[in-house]
Amino acid sequence: MSSLPLMTLVTLLVWGTLVGLDLVTVAQSMIARPFVAGTVSGILLGDPVAGLRVGVLFELFALDVLPVGAARYPDYGPATIAAVAVAAGSPWELSLGLSGTIGLLVAVLGGWSLQLLRRMNARAIQRRAAALAAGESSAIRLLQYGGVARDALRSALLTAVGLAAASLTATFLHLDRPTAVTLTVVLVSCGLAAALGGAIRSAGRGPRLVWLGAGLVLGLILAILR
Amino acid sequence: MTGVLHALLRLFTVQGTWNYERMLGVSLGYAAEPLLEDLKAADPSRHSEAIVRSAEFFNCNPNLAGLALGATVRAEYDAVPGAQIARLRTALCSPLGALGDQLFWAGLLPALVGAALAALMLGGGWWVVVGFLVLYNTVRIWTAAWALRTGLDSGMDVGAAISGSWLPRAVARVGPAAGFAVGVAVPLVAAWYLAPLGVGVSAGALVLVTLGIAAPRWLGPRFTAVRFALVAVMATLLFHLATR
Repeated sequence: MSSLPLMTLVTLLVWGTLVGLDLVTVAQSMIARPFVAGTVSGILLGDPVAGLRVGVLFELFALDVLPVGAARYPDYGPATIAAVAVAAGSPWELSLGLSGTIGLLVAVLGGWSLQLLRRMNARAIQRRAAALAAGESSAIRLLQYGGVARDALRSALLTAVGLAAASLTATFLHLDRPTAVTLTVVLVSCGLAAALGGAIRSAGRGPRLVWLGAGLVLGLILAILR
Repeated sequence: MTGVLHALLRLFTVQGTWNYERMLGVSLGYAAEPLLEDLKAADPSRHSEAIVRSAEFFNCNPNLAGLALGATVRAEYDAVPGAQIARLRTALCSPLGALGDQLFWAGLLPALVGAALAALMLGGGWWVVVGFLVLYNTVRIWTAAWALRTGLDSGMDVGAAISGSWLPRAVARVGPAAGFAVGVAVPLVAAWYLAPLGVGVSAGALVLVTLGIAAPRWLGPRFTAVRFALVAVMATLLFHLATR
């Protein structure tokens, strides 16, 4: 990670900005889903398998998120990119725990940055309240462009902070094998708990719960057969 | 009416100014602008009022915002009294939020993510990721176009148009599909990560998974999955430091 070429870092930064924007502000085309963001980051870093391993881990956590109304949630996209930067080039069972921990911290920071962005958007709207009340289309356009620009900046900064954290981690933090493997198992277990807990919560007590149970049985059979 | 394509494109940034006061309001106004352009020449004062109304508070699932946008713009052209349009806009928030959230965030999205994860675990390659993006975006772009067209066609009768449409039926079907797909994916993902590490590790992981599911129920919803994970990571690192 610490010896990444400048071009790769810039590409990751651009990718992180697009992914951060995609979460809420522009498109919501789901490139911000961790397994998408992770796979592409892995390809950019020359280790698509590491990208997939990290991406799927964060996807488990993301499945717990229901972004309804004014819900607050972590930003897993740029976090996944930072985590892939830590994990790329290392055996997954040794790197997933540490990279996942860095990623989770970046995701929490990303969630906080989304709150800040929303407050900044509100302040910008208050500043142009008179123009909005007068029905000026130009005020609406400026507010829209400002909102998108602020989120682009937020996403770029978050990705940069994540990549810096990844670089520092790869340079200075080295865990012994048992700790690294234990950390990987702990994070994978927490991810599985998040996905399953979210699915149970969404299912309630209706037919969806029965279908969830049927899916779990089929998944278990397929896992054993493989 | 001109500007429908522009408005549709702008709907994909309908959360561009998301905030806790007007929520999607201002961005919905941004999407309404090209649709209201013809009103500017026909009735300038009405146009100005319509612009003000278009940027007021609004919130719903972004994928169904076109229904509210189309209906309110059509009502502006039909010269419906402003107070009535404002009431329509307010009345649409909850149903469009509930339907859209159930259809997309709690239905289609987990269903496709679950299916994609299962396919990846069963040996699917990069095409699974591409397939997921293509499928999801086909559905949501089609839905956005349908929503805008339906809103523009129905105006103040948009409520009846929604209840008679495919939306309520789709919501009822997609939920079980999501449960099933995530259900299939979870054991496959668990095996992908844990099987190479041995049976003992898997047993320990099962205990932690159970604790992770139970924790928010015992300690309240504020103890989220991420918080549980960070506590577990800290406990692991402290344990290893203590036993070094």
